[in-house]
Amino acid sequence: MIGKKKVLLMVVLVAVLLFSGCAQQKEATPTPKPTEAPQATPTPTPTQTPPPPKTIVIGVTDKVTDLDPSNAYDFFTWEVMNNVMGGLYRYKPGTTELEPYLAKSYEVQEGGKVYVFHLREDLKFADGTPCKAQDVVRSIKRVMEISGDPSWLVTDFVENVEAVDDYTVKFTLSTPISYFLSLVATPPYFPAHPAYKPNEIDSDQTAGGVGPYKITKWVRDQELILEANPNFFGDSPKTEKIIIRFYQDATTLRLAIEKGEIDIAWRTLTPIDIESLKKNANLKVIEVPGAAIRYLVLNGNESTEFATKNPDVRRGIAAAIDRNDISQRVYLGTWEPLYSLVPIGMWSYKDVFKQKYGDGNIELAKEYLAKAGYDENNKLKLELWWTPTHYGDTEKDLAQVIKEQLENTGVIEVELKSAEWSTYVDYARKSAMMASFFGWYPDYIDPDDYTTPFLKSGSNRWLGYPYSDPEMDELLEKAAIAMTQEERTTYYEKVQDKLAEDSPIVPLVQGKLFVVAKKDIGGIVLDPTMLFRYYLLE
Amino acid sequence: MASLKAYIATRALMVLPTVIILLTLVFFILRILPGDPIASLVGQKVPPEVLEKLREEAGLNKPIIVQYGEYLYNIFHGDFGRSMIWGKRPVISEIMDRFPATVELTIFGFIFSVLIGIITGSIAAFRRGSKLDASMRVYSIIAYSLFIPWFGMVLQMIFGVYLQAFPIGGRISPGVEPEKITGLYVLDSLISLNFEALSSSFLHLLLPSITLGIVLSGAYTRLVRNNLIDVLSQDYITAYRSRGVKNSKIAIHAMKNAFIPVITLMGLQFAILLAGAVLTETTFSWPGMGTFLLERIQYRDYTSVQGAIVFYALFVALISLVVDVIYALIDPRIRY
Repeated sequence: MIGKKKVLLMVVLVAVLLFSGCAQQKEATPTPKPTEAPQATPTPTPTQTPPPPKTIVIGVTDKVTDLDPSNAYDFFTWEVMNNVMGGLYRYKPGTTELEPYLAKSYEVQEGGKVYVFHLREDLKFADGTPCKAQDVVRSIKRVMEISGDPSWLVTDFVENVEAVDDYTVKFTLSTPISYFLSLVATPPYFPAHPAYKPNEIDSDQTAGGVGPYKITKWVRDQELILEANPNFFGDSPKTEKIIIRFYQDATTLRLAIEKGEIDIAWRTLTPIDIESLKKNANLKVIEVPGAAIRYLVLNGNESTEFATKNPDVRRGIAAAIDRNDISQRVYLGTWEPLYSLVPIGMWSYKDVFKQKYGDGNIELAKEYLAKAGYDENNKLKLELWWTPTHYGDTEKDLAQVIKEQLENTGVIEVELKSAEWSTYVDYARKSAMMASFFGWYPDYIDPDDYTTPFLKSGSNRWLGYPYSDPEMDELLEKAAIAMTQEERTTYYEKVQDKLAEDSPIVPLVQGKLFVVAKKDIGGIVLDPTMLFRYYLLE
Repeated sequence: MASLKAYIATRALMVLPTVIILLTLVFFILRILPGDPIASLVGQKVPPEVLEKLREEAGLNKPIIVQYGEYLYNIFHGDFGRSMIWGKRPVISEIMDRFPATVELTIFGFIFSVLIGIITGSIAAFRRGSKLDASMRVYSIIAYSLFIPWFGMVLQMIFGVYLQAFPIGGRISPGVEPEKITGLYVLDSLISLNFEALSSSFLHLLLPSITLGIVLSGAYTRLVRNNLIDVLSQDYITAYRSRGVKNSKIAIHAMKNAFIPVITLMGLQFAILLAGAVLTETTFSWPGMGTFLLERIQYRDYTSVQGAIVFYALFVALISLVVDVIYALIDPRIRY
């Protein structure tokens, strides 16, 4: 027995020693772990060892789905690509304006049908391989051939792309479009390193393109480590090393920033978390307008039995909705009221729904519904659909608040229905929902991306609601071709007026973006492109 | 022992129909649900023609029964197919990316649950009727009814945010992963003698596996207590006592006999453990099979869900086989 006790004692002792050893090692090592670096005081005391590279850790609940620009099609992966790759043009940080990036300049020929770009001559991939016009052409042709999820951003517009010489790329478009530059700024147009497999999706490829950072380590759903690209033509990033940690839910992300495990909590914390983190003295909350919008689709499909096919019913609903109330009660102010499909802050925005209907205008709502034959005794029965996970935890509150608002008119009776996302999308396509909530993230930052996919016949079939109006189609086509912003603005204003008149879609709110960061982190620049530029962080 | 080999062979063969039945169920349930992987991923954006083309490429336009036949054929040739969403990577590499994380969590959760269960159960049995016994029994009920996400979060708050002792989530600090040998970080860092990775992965593992361990220990506490009390009242224990054998020695003899039902429970608990791991993984951002399965069900990634289910089934079958063999080795009275 005593022997056994001794053995047990030794085991415990060894374990204790081992642990304390680990702990001491952690505290005593001169090179701190990457997560500790940003906490270092701004005036470091001189030591013999070289200072560790400046590191910032960013936590997200998003995921990197696919490192191949020919197939990746989600917000966060595109953000990463914008840091490790780049396009011929890019959005100037902090704005929605485009500026030259890999290209020095461009020319438009044949009335908008041909775009010629002149590349910089000092472009190199992260490993030093030069990047020339042929690489741009190869990458775009690769996207067309693989025909992955976002490839339509190329194939719908580009007929042919060729290298005129080493530094000149010529695009021939299928029809002239005026917003081609904003397409060129999306990842499917980014030149990719020759290491990407030529004609199949290469999801785990970390070679990247021409950008301020290169990927040095990637463990799926766990971490992504970026380091400054030594061969980058522009200014080197202010922070040499960026670590992105992936969290499964908002609660864990919030605890991680509170603990200090990460320096920045990026997408997506819940409104409640943001409110309470604002009170934390060690953290700052930065707020910027986002480009995500939410709206209510009212099914006007003539082949259905839905009451919403009557425009007066749709107008009545549009008038009854109170967006300020939604913004405050559902989103605690983290989303702002939106009165058009074009987001606030983008040129041509016009608050058409406010002008035409106001907010929570019950009298007007009753008036329109009376025209459609509904009153207190013959109430409009509305089926309102929502989906529980895809748009976050606040969705059921949104549905509930809108139900209350509509029922406040006294002439509408709302029945809430819900379906899981994949079912929901399927129902939408089959035109099976009377009224349903959807949201939109832009593919390219142009009013066209906020109007054509919703309102142009054919392009809006995913809504399951074939809204089709020759006048609207003509306006949208003209707006897409017109070369000056002024001319385009007049068209888009008319489009928005008509949108409010017909109300096939009722805009609700526009998202704000929130970054929660430690007090000493600077250089956080965000804008409606919603791309976080890691290279500006300091 | 020859009979044991035969038993193992029969048991292994029995796994086959189990997996096929499960697979068939999952295959058809997934397809009965409205929506498909292509629509749920890009359904809102791409033009309808492209959507149809993508569906065709994924083979979703074929009659279901043909799809089923092809899928079974491929599975029996060891081909799990490719995921239908995102990078369309091979399902087997998707699974292998995450499986070690789940195994690691499950093993540690298992160890904790058994350890805690046996200790609390034995204390209760040896101090039968005392306040200690009562508190252990209360513990077992509370532990059993704890909701993992809530309990996990409480631990994260206390040990992570306030005491700053343990990490909130993840498997390891970024950049210190050990060289990949088995994919189990603790084991890999031991093999490669990488102590930084060892301490980091161990610290990351502690909170999730304790959460899982405590929640699952409740059942053991009860079982160990009852069995021990049962054994302690048997004649041979009285005989030991009358001969003046020391209490500690009696305890060892008693525990050995009280253990057989506990081992059965271990086998059963393993399946529950995997289910509990789904919740634990989400709470602690543990990149394992549970979070993977959840995510893929949401996107209707047919092939990945099917692959993961087959994998789970094989794993559970293997574990229960191992438990049965251990059973035979511990108790010589059991013969097959």
